[in-house]
Amino acid sequence: MSGEEEENAAELKIGDEFLKAKCLMNCEVSLILEHKYEQLQQVSEDPMNQVSQVFEKSLQYVKRFSRYKNPDAVRQVREILSRHQLTEFELCVLGNLCPETVEEAVAMVPSLKTKGRAHDDEAIEKMLNDLSLVKRFE
Amino acid sequence: MFLKVQLPWNMMIPAENMDAKGLILKRAILVQLLDAFASKKATKELGYYVAVTALDKIGEGKIREHTGEVLFPVMFSGMTFKIFKGEIIHGVVHKVLKHGVFMRCGPIENVYLSYRKMPDYKYIPGENPIFMNDKMSRIQVEATVRVVVLGTKWMEAEREFQALASLEGDYLGPIFEE
Repeated sequence: MSGEEEENAAELKIGDEFLKAKCLMNCEVSLILEHKYEQLQQVSEDPMNQVSQVFEKSLQYVKRFSRYKNPDAVRQVREILSRHQLTEFELCVLGNLCPETVEEAVAMVPSLKTKGRAHDDEAIEKMLNDLSLVKRFE
Repeated sequence: MFLKVQLPWNMMIPAENMDAKGLILKRAILVQLLDAFASKKATKELGYYVAVTALDKIGEGKIREHTGEVLFPVMFSGMTFKIFKGEIIHGVVHKVLKHGVFMRCGPIENVYLSYRKMPDYKYIPGENPIFMNDKMSRIQVEATVRVVVLGTKWMEAEREFQALASLEGDYLGPIFEE
């Protein structure tokens, strides 16, 4: 089915260009797309007609699946996750799926525990606690 | 996964627009860029083209002798969407059939979850058919399900992706949304 036999996001086998790429969490995308949509509303009576289907479906999706809505909270989430030697891909999966326990986090991002990386349970737990604080005070 | 990209494209501006002042020319280039971006829809390499976020650089124009158009090389930033084998995503169910359910994820319309990949879930027919397991957990239209992507397929003619998903794994299944 997949083009490359070896592709496997669970092991971070997604191609060099994507490993190095910057990724965006749903909540970040939501802020960007909503802002664009608002700009359109100011110059057009029918903004939905001015955007592509891809834009529309993406906006609908990220609005539904943004855990954090406030721009400051979104910035804090990115900041917290950035402290933990994650690739952009791993960072965004965690920011999108919001695991509550260390076990769940490792299930969502198996690469956390592979490749001899120094992600011990304590560090992951601290990260999850910091994230839940952001949610609580949003 | 939403990706940030930076791409070099060439914009062809008709001769008429060249008499205009700098700002109007820039606008003509931007409008064409947005148009071209939206028409592209998706590529196998980068996924679905979601939005242009910035026009980073406009290079020097080069006149095309035969048509009188001017070619401007531009560099712009944008975002795309693509899912990968092994990635865990949230899908929204939009169709329930006897042999499985179809979900959408971002701009992808057809992420298929086969009954064979929903261990313990049984199909319950009716006006609004659903899948349900012993613990009364339901998979139905408009429900969110957390799944793992088994594989993706690029359809060249339609310029879209399809994907296969599975519930086999820890912490996968229907998600209760707040």
